[in-house]
Amino acid sequence: MEFMGYQRNNDSFGIRNHILIMSSVSCANGVVDALGRIFPDAITLQHAYGCGYGPDDFTVSLRILSGILNNPNVGAVLVIGLGCELLKSERLAQAAKGKPAEAISIQQGGSATATKKGIEIVKKFIKHTKMARRVPSPVSQLIIGLKCGGSDAFSGVTANPAVGVAADLFVQEGATVIMGETTEMIGTAHILKKRCMDQQLGNRVEKMIFNQEKQVHDALGKLAGLVIAPGNIDGGLSSITEKSLGCIAKSGSTPINELIAYGNRPSKKGLVVMDTPGYDIDSMAGMASAGAQMIIFTTGRGTPAGFPAVPVIKVSSNTQTYRNMTGDIDINAGSILDESKSVEAAGRDIFDFSLRVASGATTRAEINKSIPFNCLKQGPTF
Amino acid sequence: MKNNALQINGKDNVAIAINPIRPGDYIVVNNKTVGQAIQDIEPSHKVALVPVKKGENIIRYGEPIVRATCDVKQGEWVHTHNTEPIPISYN
Repeated sequence: MEFMGYQRNNDSFGIRNHILIMSSVSCANGVVDALGRIFPDAITLQHAYGCGYGPDDFTVSLRILSGILNNPNVGAVLVIGLGCELLKSERLAQAAKGKPAEAISIQQGGSATATKKGIEIVKKFIKHTKMARRVPSPVSQLIIGLKCGGSDAFSGVTANPAVGVAADLFVQEGATVIMGETTEMIGTAHILKKRCMDQQLGNRVEKMIFNQEKQVHDALGKLAGLVIAPGNIDGGLSSITEKSLGCIAKSGSTPINELIAYGNRPSKKGLVVMDTPGYDIDSMAGMASAGAQMIIFTTGRGTPAGFPAVPVIKVSSNTQTYRNMTGDIDINAGSILDESKSVEAAGRDIFDFSLRVASGATTRAEINKSIPFNCLKQGPTF
Repeated sequence: MKNNALQINGKDNVAIAINPIRPGDYIVVNNKTVGQAIQDIEPSHKVALVPVKKGENIIRYGEPIVRATCDVKQGEWVHTHNTEPIPISYN
């Protein structure tokens, strides 16, 4: 099966051809913002990291930011730095493979000069990216991230199982599907362990979930079983285990082939588990960094969140949320409840829509330019 | 009568309300009437299909999700006010 995508030099395929303007440190966000106002079609990524943190957080932010600029949806990248920071703009630009990448330091001439330089670079990038044409591209080269956020008790019976059907269809086509959110696997280790392709992998997945459980328990004590958002509780979910059982439904029914660290690229096709936080944007950052060209995101309570350079397809678990936030949601899986649509039919709709998005159809989050960014940070800020 | 609640697995002792269920309404699951609601159950919230004793597990998806902190009557709303997460030991 094929979609119409952009072939990159390294034989990967993008579903978008974005110019990405990112900061290497939060001090440079103003210039990124200014360039974003001048070039509204460019994708900007601003963040709170890049300096004042320890080696572990440095390593994670370097991996995530360089992973995102190497995402096949990015056709060219400009990195704005300050000059004195830990994570230099040059270092990030050098991480780019097979695409134009440039770096600017604001301390060489100030904000206005940096912005002026940026304008010239982006103009050059526009000429370059304009030449690219969509070509027939194999669906097997797609990496699809799966996410749920703002779940309610319907998520596990409508949106997530429907996404599970779509995930199975992608795996059948030879594509890669990433399930993250280790927090939302708590209470399901016995189920996921059995789904792993071999016992060794099963033991590693189980250990990852137990470690996360323990971490949550150490932080929250007796409340650990309630590590869910207030909105989840309003939506009828009574414990993390209940939320998790619904959450894992979106991974479908195929075996788990690999376990990867936060933000790393999968080396296997089929269903892959990534160790990510449950926090929506952190989790999506890991998937975008892994090269996911698209994320399918289910929601019970509703959320506008997309992601920079990566289309995010929003699937609501119930019709009321869909009506409340029609401008933010692409597909309503609430139709399973009120139109007695089968989960299989809803899953097929999600698969078909995903292929249209891969070929260029825009998602609500793209239209709204709702593209927040943050990534995992665990250590202190100095 | 139209189903107004969803039982996901045959082992489940709770169902998820599809529509608002009011006291006295019949709970209809899998085209069968399973008792009457004794309080308001909002959509996406759980209703007990059978009486559950204090300390017994609440089952959804065929899996224990929480345990009852008091006796729960058939037709009662089941949520954080009458359940607690099942404690896990870390040894």
